[in-house]
Amino acid sequence: MMIQRVVRDLVTTKRVWGLHARKLRVVEDAKGNLDVAVDPVGAKVGDFVITIGYSAARIATGNPAVTTDLTIGGIIDNWSEEKWR
Amino acid sequence: MKIFQVEGTLVATARISQLENRRLLVVRERGGGRQVAVDPVGCKEGDWVIAVGSSAAKDAAGHKDYPSDLTIVGIIDYWDESQPKAASPTTRVAT
Repeated sequence: MMIQRVVRDLVTTKRVWGLHARKLRVVEDAKGNLDVAVDPVGAKVGDFVITIGYSAARIATGNPAVTTDLTIGGIIDNWSEEKWR
Repeated sequence: MKIFQVEGTLVATARISQLENRRLLVVRERGGGRQVAVDPVGCKEGDWVIAVGSSAAKDAAGHKDYPSDLTIVGIIDYWDESQPKAASPTTRVAT
């Protein structure tokens, strides 16, 4: 799992069936690389979150049929920019 | 499995229910970046640990439906970072 920050929401109306209607967020890592994650938690822009990758990401959505490789697992209570970099 | 050093605990109150109330730790790979691992063992800050990734991480965390991609599976008894290729110190027997 990785520590990432939510950058923005992402809307994709035309999508594969496998993604269902899951909410998507753009997240960045400490180096500024962007990724897209499914968000079952409801994270806001600027929140530091734990993201789960690989096949565990599918379980983390609550439905293993969802075709994702990155899912937000939780919002971190106490994390700061300084600890992150 | 890879070798990590524990940096500290991570508190995330708002989390998906499948993560249960497992302890999450911030770990740093040797010469690499920071990651978050599930800790079923009970590690302290500063411990050198081994952790499994990908699908083995799910089983290691308890059951196959647990959504973990990195799980700590053991605490290394002796690790000298200045000499990573040295074996554990042997007990010298007095003759």
